[in-house]
Amino acid sequence: MSAADPAVLLRLSGLSKRFGGLQAISDVSLDLPAGLITTLVGPNGAGKTTLFNMITGHLAPTAGTVYWLGKPLAGLAPWRIARRGVARSFQDLRLFTHMSVLQNVTTVLERGSWLWQRPIDRGRIEAVLRETGLWDKRDERAADLAYAERKFLSLARIMVRDATLWLLDEPASGLDPRSFERFVALLRDYAARGVTICIIEHNLDLVTQLSDRLAFLDQGRLLACGDPAVILKDPQLAAIYFGERA
Amino acid sequence: MLAYLQNIAVLFCVNAMLAVTLNFIMGYAGIFSLAHAIFFGVGAYTAANIAMHFSDSLFWCVAGAMLAAAVLSMALALPALRVRGEYFVAASLGLQVIGVTVFSEWKGVTGGLGGLVGIPPPTLFGHALTTPGEFLALAVAGLAAVLLVTTALLRGSFGRSLMAIRDSESAAQAAGKWVAAIKTLSVAVSAGLAAVAGAIYAFYMSFVNVEGFMLETSILLMAMVIIGGTGTVFGPIIGAALLMLLPAALTYLPFLPPAELGTVQQIVYGAIMVLLMMYRPGGLVGGRRKAGQA
Repeated sequence: MSAADPAVLLRLSGLSKRFGGLQAISDVSLDLPAGLITTLVGPNGAGKTTLFNMITGHLAPTAGTVYWLGKPLAGLAPWRIARRGVARSFQDLRLFTHMSVLQNVTTVLERGSWLWQRPIDRGRIEAVLRETGLWDKRDERAADLAYAERKFLSLARIMVRDATLWLLDEPASGLDPRSFERFVALLRDYAARGVTICIIEHNLDLVTQLSDRLAFLDQGRLLACGDPAVILKDPQLAAIYFGERA
Repeated sequence: MLAYLQNIAVLFCVNAMLAVTLNFIMGYAGIFSLAHAIFFGVGAYTAANIAMHFSDSLFWCVAGAMLAAAVLSMALALPALRVRGEYFVAASLGLQVIGVTVFSEWKGVTGGLGGLVGIPPPTLFGHALTTPGEFLALAVAGLAAVLLVTTALLRGSFGRSLMAIRDSESAAQAAGKWVAAIKTLSVAVSAGLAAVAGAIYAFYMSFVNVEGFMLETSILLMAMVIIGGTGTVFGPIIGAALLMLLPAALTYLPFLPPAELGTVQQIVYGAIMVLLMMYRPGGLVGGRRKAGQA
């Protein structure tokens, strides 16, 4: 596939990141094909979140390039990358805690200046809040929500945008079984609508239920990428994942 | 007695305007500036110079003052806001120190340490504002205008963007917010509106010198915001009232020797701050929950 292959939404080409003496990411090349759910797995410290931070422009790679629809994203600020269609969630959620649920979702749609504002689709906001079960809590402060509701609000901020790529950092961690099922159903639904999703996840239930492709990272290196069923059965990778390496 | 009360009221309005404009960035955008007195001073000196050399029209003097302060603030904000918050505090402290030096030394524009004297009264639609009553009306109108503008901005999308940035800058960026531009703009608005207070102050006093724009003023303004309640509409006004009225109230205590008033005032300020941090970290209006705390 070339860098401009329309089937590839995002391409990481030879990506590396060094923090002082620590090589966090080493020469990772990975494609995110359009419309598929790709899951990044690996032990803690494998470099999964660092990879997300380089895709979204929060960190600059030491080497390598991120291509978006065949064009390099190098040097673009995070907000510019976001406006191209990349949405992300954070492991620690980073909600706008002093704002209401409705304001959290509204503000991510607002663009423009004091003089001109892009019209906001309020029907879309209501639909998303209903899908995530937050419509009745729309006037509550984000800080006052229960844990699962916060997780859904984090997802709602992404759902409401017209982003074509979702980068979700441990989106389902800590969810109770009922919330977990609703969460999985929502992700499936949006994937079916054509959204490309990349998830960092430790929960193997979510990995097996959702993933079309699985990428295994360890110590900043991409060890495997492909069919989840095959990779999850690899005894060597399982040993690394469960910390049983020699 | 009426003249005394009018004087207190005008100075209260000026300080309340400054506290409200500082709260605009401190309370809603999480930008802590130690240079607010400089923007106040730039407004005062600019309005005074325009009135003394070009036009005594209140409109032109205030417009010029706002423009000068906003441009200066952007020169500070553009580089400083690209880095983390504490660097902006350091950069603003640097601006405060440089500003005081410039106010003291640039004799051609600021009159040096002696300041500018004989600032002519401003005219509004051809009418010269000279009486204390007219200045009080002007100061109240200025405070109302500042409140109106800041509240309107904060209730709209700009305010939501500011609060989003305050709560999580990286999440705001990830949502497509041009954080550096929004923060720079908010500092420019804050400085521009602080300059309105500077212009009114210069005309009311008909004299300005560097004494009013020292670091102590910036710290006092910050104390007004914190004591009143950061991130609240009326907190800074309550804080300004308290810290303005306190010195006046202390003079009525017969057991305090006049020579010790300044020292007692500092002790009372300090005690109020400590008690607030312990029992009402959100300020008098903000309540028990600390601003910025979930």
